[in-house]
Amino acid sequence: MNITINGTSRIVNAGPLTPLLHVLREELDVLSPKAGCQQGGCGTCTVLVNGEPRRSCLLPIAAVEGAEVRTVEGLASGGKLTPVQEAWIHHYAAQCGFCTSGFLMAATAYLEKGGSDDHAEIAAALGGHVCRCTGYVKIYDAVAAAARGESFDLATTAAGSRTTIRGVEL
Amino acid sequence: MTKHQGRGIAAIEYPTGMNQNGDPSQAWIKLKMDGRVDVFAGTVDIGQGSKTIHSQIVADTLGVPMDWVTMDTSNTDSSAFCMGTFASRGTFIGGNAVRLAAEKVRGRILEIGGELLEIDPGDLEIIDGEVVAKGSPDKKIGVGDIAGAATFVKGELISGQGTALKEYATLDPETGAVTIPPHSAISYAACAAEVEVDVETGDVRVLKLTQVYDVGCAINPTMVEGQIEGGAIQGLGLGLLENCYPYYPSAEHRGGQFGSYLAPSMEDLPELECIILENPSADGPFGAKAIGEMANNAQPPAIAAAIYDAVGIWVTELPITPEKVLRALEAKAAGQPESTRDGKVVRYDEALSMSSFQAAESAVRFAV
Repeated sequence: MNITINGTSRIVNAGPLTPLLHVLREELDVLSPKAGCQQGGCGTCTVLVNGEPRRSCLLPIAAVEGAEVRTVEGLASGGKLTPVQEAWIHHYAAQCGFCTSGFLMAATAYLEKGGSDDHAEIAAALGGHVCRCTGYVKIYDAVAAAARGESFDLATTAAGSRTTIRGVEL
Repeated sequence: MTKHQGRGIAAIEYPTGMNQNGDPSQAWIKLKMDGRVDVFAGTVDIGQGSKTIHSQIVADTLGVPMDWVTMDTSNTDSSAFCMGTFASRGTFIGGNAVRLAAEKVRGRILEIGGELLEIDPGDLEIIDGEVVAKGSPDKKIGVGDIAGAATFVKGELISGQGTALKEYATLDPETGAVTIPPHSAISYAACAAEVEVDVETGDVRVLKLTQVYDVGCAINPTMVEGQIEGGAIQGLGLGLLENCYPYYPSAEHRGGQFGSYLAPSMEDLPELECIILENPSADGPFGAKAIGEMANNAQPPAIAAAIYDAVGIWVTELPITPEKVLRALEAKAAGQPESTRDGKVVRYDEALSMSSFQAAESAVRFAV
């Protein structure tokens, strides 16, 4: 069977009902989609199939034959990150990073369809993804910034956005 | 009107590191021949940012740019010993270990720099990777040149080790008394929750969490903010959603899959306001204290208090599910005694009340 991963046609030996996630990770060495709950509940295995976010753990490869599959490996080109990836770094949107691949692909699909920086719309697009570390705040900040077309100088670090710091003299 | 709003507040304190102390972290630093810095420490970065924070501490202690510093956490065997990444001890104890090691390296850089410049090391400082004479900024030598001279002329590897250890606090078996303080660098925090309770469905929405955290010194404010925001949403989940046994009434009805464990999603995100209070500790690196685990403690009680403020019921078991809210509202409507915040049903007993005790005491005193 042939499937197209990030613009390259790949020959796959696994059986037609093998989940796409296992083919990507174990046969093709495409490691950005993570094996989280493997029940469709957490979102970290999300890839784009013809531009639509799909849970690769639940998707048999027979369903993607002839389709265009995109993963995080296919986002950056020529050493240049996509705006949402840059926003992710600028806003410290990853802590442990295990959910990041899935969030990035879902956010990419949302932004490619012209998604805005509206909080409710972003929450609806990304609401099926679980993050334990960040509390989602900085993920929302990153997607909203990319939706507004902001660009960042990654040599500098992000400033806190909701925080005030008050020193106490001893 | 089925929706009622309320506000509640909760405060916590949190000690840094192991209770009774006795948990060392060690670090070893070597200066490469070009002045770049390798740090070996066992603190494990699980996303909280300890590699960044340790690198900042080393860079600031040495006086070199942060991108000169490499934290080697590739394995815990070749690294110096660390008790572990727990008890919110990474920045305070691990950070003190790398600070102490960096101070030794700094001292040796200044000594060799003093020899090369023929100036007393006490009159030198390190600014942005250069050893500079205080008051005479034209008299200077690069840290890289000093490291090169050490390597190729003096035949020396500039290195330093540091161990952060507070002595184990032994308990008196009879009294429980300690001879040295059993805690370090206590952090303080408070959380105010604003909620909306629907008395028809029992649904509770958190509208806003305002949080104040005394972290001593925010070595990296954006990462501290990340800890506070992440902890806030964990605390919201503990307060309202997360339950290993969601299926009432018994354990064999536990959730069979990941989706049955309700963790908050982006759609549960309330408005968040964070205030970092820098009230420096005497013994932390640059005055820092802990932030890690304390960040998800104050939200559940603040939410419970806000629900009481909104509809007059104390739900005393977490998570506060719609079912528990509706049962408590029914009990209240039926005139059943109210649960208190420690989970017991209390009836007011005049004879046991404090005013009765005081009255009795006064009566006795007058009688004598």
